[in-house]
Formats: sequence, C-alpha cells, structure tokens
Amino acid sequence: MKQMHVMGGAMTRFGKHVGVKAPELAQQAILAAVADAGLVLKDIQAIYCANVLGGMILGQVILRDLGLAGIPVYNIENACASGATAVHLAKHALLAEQYDTVLVFGIEQLTALGGGTIPMQRNDEKTDLYAAAGMVLPAVYAMRATRFLHERGAQPADLAAVAVKNRFHGSLNEYAQQRNAVTLEEVLASRMIADPLTLLQCCPSQVDGAAALVLGKRSGPHAKDVRVLGSIVVSGLAEGPRDDILDAEITARAARLAYEQAGVEPSDVDVVELHDAFTIAELLYYEALGLAAPGEAVALLHSGATKVGGRVPVNPSGGLLAKGHPLGATGVAQMVELMWQLQGRAGARQANAPRIGVAQCTGGGIAGVDHAASSVHVLGV
Amino acid sequence: MNTSLWSEGAPARLLASCHRASGEIVFPPVSAHSPLADQYEGLLLEGEGTLYSFTVIHPGSKSGQQPFALGYLDLLGPARLFGRVNGTRRPAIGDVCRVVPDATYGYAFELAEDAQ
Repeated sequence: MKQMHVMGGAMTRFGKHVGVKAPELAQQAILAAVADAGLVLKDIQAIYCANVLGGMILGQVILRDLGLAGIPVYNIENACASGATAVHLAKHALLAEQYDTVLVFGIEQLTALGGGTIPMQRNDEKTDLYAAAGMVLPAVYAMRATRFLHERGAQPADLAAVAVKNRFHGSLNEYAQQRNAVTLEEVLASRMIADPLTLLQCCPSQVDGAAALVLGKRSGPHAKDVRVLGSIVVSGLAEGPRDDILDAEITARAARLAYEQAGVEPSDVDVVELHDAFTIAELLYYEALGLAAPGEAVALLHSGATKVGGRVPVNPSGGLLAKGHPLGATGVAQMVELMWQLQGRAGARQANAPRIGVAQCTGGGIAGVDHAASSVHVLGV
Repeated sequence: MNTSLWSEGAPARLLASCHRASGEIVFPPVSAHSPLADQYEGLLLEGEGTLYSFTVIHPGSKSGQQPFALGYLDLLGPARLFGRVNGTRRPAIGDVCRVVPDATYGYAFELAEDAQ
C-alpha cells in the first residue's frame, strides 16, 4: 500500500457548545488542523465532511465563508463510523492520486436534539417494528451486557471498571466533556439506564464537537511522521437466528483486514482508541481487536494493561464515555488523539512512547443487523 | 395493532417468510412488493420461545414512564425476534415466553410464569 500521511490535526473541546452554530464550531477544528499541518487553506484540494444528524450539505454550509474557491466537498454519513469512513474515502482519493492534500473533518451537535438517546432509523417494516418496541442503542448494548454476565460469570463491577478507567483518563484530557474521575461505587450507584448499564457506563448524550485532520501524500511538519498503515470500512451482515451477540463479528472482521493491510499483529499495537459508547463495548472489542484472547477481556482490564502507563493503553483520551461522542466527529477525533499519542503530544495522558495505534468505530444499529458499519484504522510512526 | 403480522384463526401466529433455497426464516414477512418475494414462501412462527437476552429500560423521571423490559426471543425454526417482555417479575435468560398480540407494538413476549 502506498503511504498516506497524517500531516496535522486538531479538535475542539467536546461538550455543550450551546448557541454555537456548526460553522463556528467546525471552523475552529479546521483552521487549527491546517495550521498544525503547516499549511494554509488554499493548500487543501478537497474536503470530506462527516456528520450524521446535521442535515443536507452541511459541509458546504460550514465552508462557505472560508474562501475555498469551489473545491470538491464530500458529505459523508455512516452513523458512528462517519468520521472514520471519511478518512477511508480520503485515502482512496489520495492513493489514486486524485489529490495531494485533503482535509477531513467531523462535526455533530447533539445538544440540538435536547437529550435522550439517538433515535433509530425507521426505513422499513422491521426497523419500524423494532424501533416502536423500544430498540435504542443502550438497549442493544445492555442485552449484550446481560448475556456477557450470564455466559462469562462476570459481575456488574467488571463492567463498571471500564468506566472507572476511561473516566480517569478523561480527567486528564482538556478536550473531554466529563473530567471527573469516579469510583467503582459511584459508577454502580449512578442511575440505572438499561439494566445492567448505569448512567456512568453510557457515553453522555448531550455533546457537541468537531475534529479535523489534514491528510496527504507527504509528511507534515512534525518530527514524528504519522502514517496511515491500514484503513478498513466494512458493513454488517444480516443477523442469523443463532448469532452470538458477544461475538462483535463486524469489528473482528474489520480488525483482521486492517492488521493484514498494515502488516502488523495485535501484539504490535501500543495504544488504542476504541468505540466505548457503553462499558460492555470496550470488553467485547478487546477480544474483537485481538487485544485479549476469547474470554479474557475482563482479565485484561483488571491486569491494568489498558490503563495509561500500561502495556497497551485503551482510550487514553477518556474514550466516548468521558470525552463524549458527537457522532460524526468521533472517528476523526480518535485519530487526532492517536496522532498526538504517536507524536508524544498527549500531555498528562501520554501513553509511553507508542509506535502503532489503532482506532476503531462501530456503529449504527439496524434491526436485523449486528451493526451498520465498522471501521478500523492502524496508524504508525 | 398491525394485524398484517398475524395469521387468522386461533391461536393466531406471527407470519414470517421462509427462503425457499436456504430455509432461512425472515420476520416480518417479505413484502409482496419486494423483487425477492418469489424466492420466499409463507410460514407461521412458533408461538413460544426462550429468552436469549434482555434488559430493563429505566426511563428518566421526566418521561413519566415506568421501567419496561426488552429482549430477544429464540423460537424453533429457528428464528430470533426482538420485542417487549411483559410479566409480573424480572425476566431471566432462559425464560419461556409466549408470543402474544399487542395493541401498541404489534406483538410482545409474555413470560410463562410456570417456567424457570
């Protein structure tokens, strides 16, 4: 595979940016990313805008006043994997030598929804039936958690320990929405949302944010050149009647392909940003990403290996649980964090001196499909 | 209630489709408007199954809603359905449930209280 370089990146703080319109929010990340890449806007040849709920041609609205002279703008929606999908599509264009330098940004403003869970789509009879009955993403993950406790002999405290770890990481991250470290007791005592998942085991539902990356065929100005070694997007398979809901098949499939493309093994990975929208997700994705052997996720968590300072820190940013999950921005923000980690620019949450980082987004519940899309990226220096 | 989900006669059973070549069962039934419709034939789902997993949703106090249970029910066939789980106690994995008509959701799962 030819090389794609992460020339620079930036993100806004994730949080409630009430009263701030999409252009103002996204432009903060865009302008900072371009400056971080040592470029000016006129150096950008195409722009990819990832967003889920912001409406039609949001990218052009955000970019209208930046004087970009009509360069191509692509608007991309792929649920929680939108940002990662945008990076993936940018890779196609760069490696096809359509462009030399592009900008990918993601933005979401969930405070505009007024809170609550993300509404599920109702595009056919099955999605309509399931959504009417109460199919929401917390329910999907909670049913996995119930089954996990049943099959693995795990305890609710094992789930809660994920929130303790990631919320501690978030306390170190000035870009995170929720910066309070919490105890196991506080996690378990927080309000029950979808049994066995309590409030502090769910990513905050009211969050706004934007993140941007400049990608190119040459390296950026930073001493450590971050390259995209693997970039995969896959879609879910129709559910079978005897599927194992703990299998995370779509994520495992994306990870296998990404590792193969990057020429690395799971044991080579030094730092991970994964899709911990709910605590159970992180445990399932340990195994899907090959960080833990099947059945060993809880043991890996309790070993301390996935905490900052451990062998393979997972979600040093605080993850979706603490940093927040503005859908379209999440995948891009994960890779901004990896860029900072790989370049030693992550401040108090710096994960040793990593050389290989993995970002994983899996999202978009559809009735009858495990998940809509999963994306795994492998970055390296 | 979406009456097109149910067979006529008693006891009513949920309608589904069966792929002629693979035997795969699809619920709800494949629409007659589907270009794939001729690959399927009609099937009646079993009226009872086993709870594969579940959750109890606790709506926020402002909603005024009471907690309710959701789950996946495995039926012989095989088929797996998602829906509301009704009963007077907390569900458990392995519970036997009947599939019953529901005026709001089309169907629901009713805990068979003698099953544990």
